[in-house]
Amino acid sequence: MIKFIARRLLQLVPTVFVISIILYALLALKPGDPIDDMRRGNPNFTQADYERLRALYGLDDPWYIRYWKWLARAVQGDFGPSRQYGMSATLYVFQYRLPNTVLLSGLSLLIAFVIAVPLGIYSAIRQHSIADYAITVLNFMGVSVPIFWLGILLIYVFSVQIRNFLPAGGLLTPGVSWPDWNTIAANSGGGLLEAFSLYWSKALAVISDRIKHLVLPVAALSSLQLAGWTRFMRSAMLEVVNMDYIRTARAKGLRERVIVYRHALRNAILPIITLVALSIPLLFSGAVLTETVFNWPGMGTAILGSLLNNDFNVSMVSLMFIALLVLIFNLIADIVYALVDPRIRYE
Amino acid sequence: MRKFLLSALALALVVTAWAGPDNNSLIVGTTQEPSDLGQWNGSADTKENALGLFFLGLTYFDSNGALQPGLASEVPTGANGRVRISGSGDSSRQEVDWTLRADANWSDGTPITSDDVLFTFEVQTNPLIPVSSTANSSKIEEIVKVDDKNFTIVYNTPNLFAVNPGGDIGLARFYDVAPKHVWEPIFDAAVAAAEATPASAGDIITQQFIGAAPATAAQGPKVTSGAFVMDEWQPTQFLRATRNNGFVLGSAKLDFVQVQFIVDQNTLLANIINGTIDASDDIGLAGFDPDELAAQGTGVFTVQVSASGFIEHLNLNLHPECQDAVDLQLGDKRTRQALIQAINRAALGPAVFPGSIVSTSFVVAGDSGFLPETQEAWPFNPAAAQALLAQLGWADSNGNGVLDRTTADGRFVEFDLDHVTTTAQFRLDTQAILERDLNAVGIKVIAKPGPGSVVFSDAFIQHASQCSWSHVFEFAEAAGIGQSPFDPLSKQLDARLIANAASAFGGNNVGGVNIPALQTLIVQAENAFDTAARAALVEQMQQIFLDELPIIPLYERTEVITSKIGLKNYGKVTPLTKTIFWNPWQWEWE
Repeated sequence: MIKFIARRLLQLVPTVFVISIILYALLALKPGDPIDDMRRGNPNFTQADYERLRALYGLDDPWYIRYWKWLARAVQGDFGPSRQYGMSATLYVFQYRLPNTVLLSGLSLLIAFVIAVPLGIYSAIRQHSIADYAITVLNFMGVSVPIFWLGILLIYVFSVQIRNFLPAGGLLTPGVSWPDWNTIAANSGGGLLEAFSLYWSKALAVISDRIKHLVLPVAALSSLQLAGWTRFMRSAMLEVVNMDYIRTARAKGLRERVIVYRHALRNAILPIITLVALSIPLLFSGAVLTETVFNWPGMGTAILGSLLNNDFNVSMVSLMFIALLVLIFNLIADIVYALVDPRIRYE
Repeated sequence: MRKFLLSALALALVVTAWAGPDNNSLIVGTTQEPSDLGQWNGSADTKENALGLFFLGLTYFDSNGALQPGLASEVPTGANGRVRISGSGDSSRQEVDWTLRADANWSDGTPITSDDVLFTFEVQTNPLIPVSSTANSSKIEEIVKVDDKNFTIVYNTPNLFAVNPGGDIGLARFYDVAPKHVWEPIFDAAVAAAEATPASAGDIITQQFIGAAPATAAQGPKVTSGAFVMDEWQPTQFLRATRNNGFVLGSAKLDFVQVQFIVDQNTLLANIINGTIDASDDIGLAGFDPDELAAQGTGVFTVQVSASGFIEHLNLNLHPECQDAVDLQLGDKRTRQALIQAINRAALGPAVFPGSIVSTSFVVAGDSGFLPETQEAWPFNPAAAQALLAQLGWADSNGNGVLDRTTADGRFVEFDLDHVTTTAQFRLDTQAILERDLNAVGIKVIAKPGPGSVVFSDAFIQHASQCSWSHVFEFAEAAGIGQSPFDPLSKQLDARLIANAASAFGGNNVGGVNIPALQTLIVQAENAFDTAARAALVEQMQQIFLDELPIIPLYERTEVITSKIGLKNYGKVTPLTKTIFWNPWQWEWE
């Protein structure tokens, strides 16, 4: 197994290298560059400006020369600046975008999983009941309703019709920021307990504000996953509950709860776990529509924006990161398969 | 514990009601965020708006469109002897004397001096700095410091500012002055690093200078000449500015201004309706129906609508090198006249861009006032269009509903008109209407939409002579800014700027417009300093444009802004510029 892991890790290097070439070439060969954007935005832009700026940014070199220059710096951890935001592309992606995406997608994934599993089980063991039909209808609605439409609907109901019940997008309320302990301690004028109480009351207000801003986007995003996973769980459960060993368990006189949760669920949930595991890289790549509708600055809108605005370095950092995650999670999946399934052995 | 929970609840309520008249602050919503607030590069509307919070130009426009002294003590004019023009033609020269107000200080108390002006010019003309256009600064021959408060700008062309103070708003309003004592150390270090590593010069300048803390979210403008100072900038969310009590025109009425970035227009609208956002800028609600907005805002906000000066138009491929364009006889003005008459422009504009105005102008902005009667020019007349096409030899010989003809060299050609544009919804809607209207006269429209980053790429838009786009390219341009005869003329009509192989595919005249009579007038107008004489030239240009139609104007866009009831002096639209300028020190709640 160790040999296998070592070999796979070694294989990652050329794979990442080839992916980086393909990504860079695709981005470089795409029509348009940052200087075109400047030309488009300014009717006074002269040809001399154009040539001067292309030379300054090294855009007058062929793409493969630019790639080698990029690679030489990337292997040292320098992925260059975001031309749109002036800061390091790595900082922009990992500090300003990724944490927001992980929070939104992670919570949505968790909530969808926690609700989908029991709902799928319930729907399966009550097959053809009114509850089963209701869950099925809701699932189909969840799968069919476009997420941007659902998002706008949620905003309309909870932010416009019920005025300001929940915020219509954004990460936090303007003016709300995490309290600074030193300032509070210095200004409290009293004892430590008073400062501590004030600090936590402010912190609680920030947390509560953050939660308020999360409710609608999480509801919209998790609805899609919830509907899909509930269907999967129901199907997997139905397949298992009709197997011989479940019939045997019933014949032995075991209680239904034990049959469902100890015998059926353990087998039925395996494909769901695989499905969830495969969704984890998605957790980092963002959800463009949800992020756009709810003004949530995540990876999805960052990648889209960087592609539309010819911000090559941000595109490269984001796409390479996601590619790397996919490769790593594939490896992890292979290892986990070997651990849980005795039939699989890697040499 | 109970006390603790109550205080937390109270705080939660306080932060929810942070903004608005209650605490003398304002939240402005927009769909775009400026990438930086440096004064050297780019001029996207959002950035210009935000810069207006932090920096005051030498002059500014008041609510009546009159140019007023900003950092300068007086607006230079010929009458007060501050603007001097000498020579003529290519040897002309112009000098403008400026005096900075004696009490003009940066927000940290440092006096604003001529050295700041000279430093700003030094940065803008440094070849390492990615200033998006050196066109304005390159017209400046030199800036001569007289003393700490007086300097003279010497131009190598007179077509700037002229004797009319509204002649070039780029010089007036946007000539921001940067604080030398803040930027000089950053600039020197960045340039030194870039010169030491020429291979990475662009990236170094981007990161160390353009992306330096005083211009970005890392800090933002803390030393300003404007009514406000940056307090906090949360990227992708908001920036918040606090009042600069030392502002030279008198302290702002509001304590805080916050610009909230909400990328989705519907979400922005929801925030306006529910009262979270107090006002919207001129970009956020572009394309929304003003009447519907007004109905939604009853009792909450008011709506202001104004012409934007942006004219949506069909740019035609007139390059003789492109055979596809020649085959459709786009170079013959009768074809162009047939096209404009075949399109029901009166119905198109309102259908795709509510509130827009049909335009028949392009030399300067649509309702410039030079030829008011031409608003009615080229009304919808499909019969006239068909007659013109018949004159040109087009007929539906095979009965398939599409006109065809045989070329001089014996080739069979059908009138299949490629229509290239971006994928913005209002342009896709336009394509559908053009398909319907032009099909009715036997022209088959082939829609070719593409992402803006692709169709506006240099390799595409600039290469029409090589048929990168063969027939029609629809986009918008601010041909002129307003009613002044000193407005910049459309560069798309200037034959010296044709983008083709001879110009290395540079130049703004992407369609290849080359009309000698028009060109003569353009050159004459460059050296016409007398307002009446220049207006007469512009009028002649407009007449020629309307006859030749080298570009087919569709409609002039409108700008829509909202402001909560009770907010005063927000979003003025000046008659001179038509552009909404932020004079934020005047904003106040009733």
